[in-house]
Amino acid sequence: MFFWIPRVARHPRALLAAVLLLAGVAAALSVDPRTLRPRLRIDPSAEALLPAHDADRAVLERLRRTFGDEDPVIVAVRFAPSVFTAENLEKIDALSGRLQKLPGVRSVFSLATAPNPLASGDELTVTSFTAQARANPAQIARLPQQLAANPLYRGTLVSRDGTIAAFALRLDYSDPARYVREDFSGRVRAAAATVAPGAPVWITGTLPVRAATAAALSRTLAFSVPAVFVLVALLLLVAFRSLRALFAALLTVGIALLLTLATATALRMEFNLVTAIVPALVVAIGLSYSIHLLAAYFLSRSMIPQAAPAERAEWVMKRIAVGLTLSATTTIVGFLSLLLNPLPAIRAFAWLATIGTLYVGFLTLSFTPALLNALGCDDEPPPFGQRLFAALGQRLARFDTRYRIQIIAVALVLIPLDLWFATRIRAGTEFIQGFSAKAQVRRDFEAINRAFDGANLVQILIDTHVNDALADPAQIRPLQALEDWLRKQPEVGAVVSYIDQLKVLNRALNGDDPVYFAVPDSAAAVKQLLVFGGGEAIQHLVDPRFSSAVITARITVDDSIAIGDFLERLDAQLRALPPPLAAQATGSTVLAVHAVNALAGGHLASILIAGFAIWALLSVMFYSMRAGFIATLPNVVPVCVYFGTLGLLHISLNPTTSLIACIVLGIAVNDTVHFLARFNADARERGAETGAIASALAAVLRPITLATAALCLGFLAFTGSELRAQVQFGWLSAWTLFCAWIADMLLTPALGSKLRIVTLWDLLRLDLGVSPQHTIPLFSGLSMRQARLFALLSRMEEVPAGTRIIREGDYARDIYVILDGNVEVLVERHGERKRLATLGRGAVIGEAGFFGQRRTAHIDTLTPVRLLRFDSQDLERLRLRYPATAATVFRNLNRIQAERIARMTAMVS
Amino acid sequence: MRIGVLRGVSLYVLQGAVLSAAALFAVAAAAPGDPALAKVLACMRANVPPTLRIQDLELQATDRAGGTRTLKGRLYALREHGLLRAMLRIAAPPDLAGAAYLVRETAEASRADEMYLYLPALNRVRRIAGASAEDSFLGTDFSYSELKQIENAFNDADGQLEAPAQLDGRTVDVLAFRPRAAAGSRYSALRAWVDRKTCVALKVDFYEGAAPRKELSASASALARSGSYWYLTQAEMRDLKDGTRTVLRITGVTSGADLAARYFDPHSFYLGN
Repeated sequence: MFFWIPRVARHPRALLAAVLLLAGVAAALSVDPRTLRPRLRIDPSAEALLPAHDADRAVLERLRRTFGDEDPVIVAVRFAPSVFTAENLEKIDALSGRLQKLPGVRSVFSLATAPNPLASGDELTVTSFTAQARANPAQIARLPQQLAANPLYRGTLVSRDGTIAAFALRLDYSDPARYVREDFSGRVRAAAATVAPGAPVWITGTLPVRAATAAALSRTLAFSVPAVFVLVALLLLVAFRSLRALFAALLTVGIALLLTLATATALRMEFNLVTAIVPALVVAIGLSYSIHLLAAYFLSRSMIPQAAPAERAEWVMKRIAVGLTLSATTTIVGFLSLLLNPLPAIRAFAWLATIGTLYVGFLTLSFTPALLNALGCDDEPPPFGQRLFAALGQRLARFDTRYRIQIIAVALVLIPLDLWFATRIRAGTEFIQGFSAKAQVRRDFEAINRAFDGANLVQILIDTHVNDALADPAQIRPLQALEDWLRKQPEVGAVVSYIDQLKVLNRALNGDDPVYFAVPDSAAAVKQLLVFGGGEAIQHLVDPRFSSAVITARITVDDSIAIGDFLERLDAQLRALPPPLAAQATGSTVLAVHAVNALAGGHLASILIAGFAIWALLSVMFYSMRAGFIATLPNVVPVCVYFGTLGLLHISLNPTTSLIACIVLGIAVNDTVHFLARFNADARERGAETGAIASALAAVLRPITLATAALCLGFLAFTGSELRAQVQFGWLSAWTLFCAWIADMLLTPALGSKLRIVTLWDLLRLDLGVSPQHTIPLFSGLSMRQARLFALLSRMEEVPAGTRIIREGDYARDIYVILDGNVEVLVERHGERKRLATLGRGAVIGEAGFFGQRRTAHIDTLTPVRLLRFDSQDLERLRLRYPATAATVFRNLNRIQAERIARMTAMVS
Repeated sequence: MRIGVLRGVSLYVLQGAVLSAAALFAVAAAAPGDPALAKVLACMRANVPPTLRIQDLELQATDRAGGTRTLKGRLYALREHGLLRAMLRIAAPPDLAGAAYLVRETAEASRADEMYLYLPALNRVRRIAGASAEDSFLGTDFSYSELKQIENAFNDADGQLEAPAQLDGRTVDVLAFRPRAAAGSRYSALRAWVDRKTCVALKVDFYEGAAPRKELSASASALARSGSYWYLTQAEMRDLKDGTRTVLRITGVTSGADLAARYFDPHSFYLGN
């Protein structure tokens, strides 16, 4: 797998040149040379989170295709002391005119443009409120009453207190980037300031909110990525005290980030609320990898002080290759598990984060060592805190060993407790409240939401598929009942439909008689009123064939849970409509709520898959399902703590918080692997697990802590975002990662202290000589893999020539198998050495002690010898974990004993 | 509520029927400085009949989703002391049949045109005042504003005659106009392609900014003649931004005939056939 390492290590200049060239190409791909701005687009719309072929999205697109227009931009201006003065109505008229002339404005709906039908005898005057006020100042006093009596305008054109006028601007574009580029909000405010100097102005609507979200995402990206660099750079500087090493790490991660962005640009991926997390995440992961690499690099100075640069690079690369590959693999498994999520934005995140991790992993492994050599880091001071961490590791090991049971018990209690708290979690998010309370966009939205009857729109698409059905009074009645129901809901501020338009028309054409504020009795009358009186406005409410219509409700609530509750009740009402009436709630707000609700289902599956995949990976890695489970458990605990935290703090599962469990699971397991791999090596070297805990903790505490600190700092950079979802992501990710670190420092050693593990790597590189199953009787009938497994659960020892392995008369229960070399069996009697036998490869020795007897002879090595030593505990471990292998070994052991007894019997007889 | 569109309906239907010729009902006094332009306008003016009856008029509107709605009717128009009188009576669909509009142009510029609406469901006539020129007519892509735009444009002495072009295999004069600032039009410019042989506009583009927003077009094969007057039997107005379109078809055009006064009387316009 790592055959390429020596070749790459030998050609550092070619590697550096190739990577820098690639970085140049990536930069050209990612950045527009004319504007020096990133080419990557930001899409802040809720639709961006949904699948392109989602049924909800299709309904919204059909609604827009049939009835036109995106949600309008709402401008509200306060006119003191009241809107209803001649002077202020003139200002409203003037402002409407100015707004109409702004680039991109298709129409303005306000007191100056909305027709107010006034009946007088057989004459009907259809002019705007402002025109009527100008023509007849006495009319001004009647305007509030007329507005209140008209459901089309009630709470829409003027606030309930009569001081704020609204202007609904329909634009001929829906691109937030254009909105920002042309500073549309600024132009609106400037127009208002010209007409009504000093008057407070508020602007909201889907487009301004999207524009603000896009701007906030841009600022988050512009802030979080450098912030991660700076924070982790400081950490690296303190930890390694080398500016050159720091530069190498930062350049590596910077190039990986550039390649990630270039790939995203080439794949036409857009940044949204979820994918915007990737850049900072890639930087944090990359810098945590750098910590492991730099640790290995500085270690090489003491391990191979005289090595040439290429040799050192190769040594470093080989030293971290397995660990880094495994780390990257588990991290990627965590990301890829998110592909099960139904939201394409989260799937795009999974791909992009995977791509970034691959880049940063490969560059850290290959590019950084070459760069470190090129920069010449040989004369740097030794890394900071090594001894301190080693001492802390020793103390921690003592604690873990002493309180092993208690630690495991706490973990086992935490899991169900957190899961119980987690039952309180609901999928949901705040839309406008996702901005800080001081954000202009939020203040504007809330001001308009308060002053008028809600600022969020829920549209209901009514479809009959029958021409003229909606002109039939019999079909209109259930829709009227639906409107009445809507108006009674606490979340609903206002409702408008073609039925309201119809009633207003009917009253106006019947001399303003309130009796006629009703649906006419015949379908012909309904059609005549709507076709001849409806004008352009009716096109936005009912289709020309009267087969489909839209009812628009303005709601006062903003968070998705409250909206979701309302939609649930609404859906029940819509389902109850009699055929041919079929209805569905839609609109940007509804889609966003559905997108958030869709998270819950995919989320659990993602976590289960990630957990299972990581367990499977670790089981393969440690060649045991039990070992895989023990390695996975310490990472399940922080995930449970994370969900418990969500439930306890009433934090909802939203598009960003739903990423955390899988991300942390994929990242945190690296520390477990690092610890267990080191523990395994030390345990094998020492021949005992207990001491290995201390040595392993002493060795890995520093890099694991630094890497965790780097990642936590990286995540904490998101807390500087203006968007609450990103802030929550930052805090919760850092917290969960911290919990994972605690679990790895306490629970993993506690669980692993009794565990003899075998790694796949050990298994592959273990040398048992030629055909061990044929040349070593104990391995007879075993496969090569089984023979290696047994060998790895035993202890491999190398003994120099002339060493006594077994002393006659000792009590000891170890059995030895000679892999290489020769030993002699001898006894000493009356000062004389008497050689009984010379044994070589395959011989089993010491079995008498194994069965409880004293050693019957000395055994000395004649040449350097490689031995496998095992005892009854090892055999019991083998029996429990690999029973088939154990059965064969026991059979062979019996056979060896039987043959020996037979030989002895033959000798005696 | 956009009942104000009635103000332009008869003018507009005439416009739809004979395109630019109808627009010239109001531009007889135009006197452009460019003799070539004046000649084209004079030829177009010669296509304006003193009276007009359209036996069958059909408006087929297609919305963004591809849904269509068809209205059929009959139109009568004449000039009385130089003032326009026009009446449209709807014949189909059946539930709208019998509805009628009447527009009577007023002599004083300060006074709005008189408009009357009769709806069978109300069984009474309503006089309508006010409303916007931007409104669409009966949910179609035609609106009074386009008609006014043409009217204003052809009155505009600053109009230009561009190089002739070929359209639908015929030589056309291309006229370009910019509205006067005072007109308050939503359109920034207008271009008309006028068939040199018949003096009928085969295409008119209405510009919003630099790009056309609406396009009125007809095939040369739709050219027909009633007496000495040329007109189009079919034309289409497309809203290039909204993706909607309306096709106007007319048959049975009679020009110069005597028309009964009751068609233009607010008390009786809706009665009979």
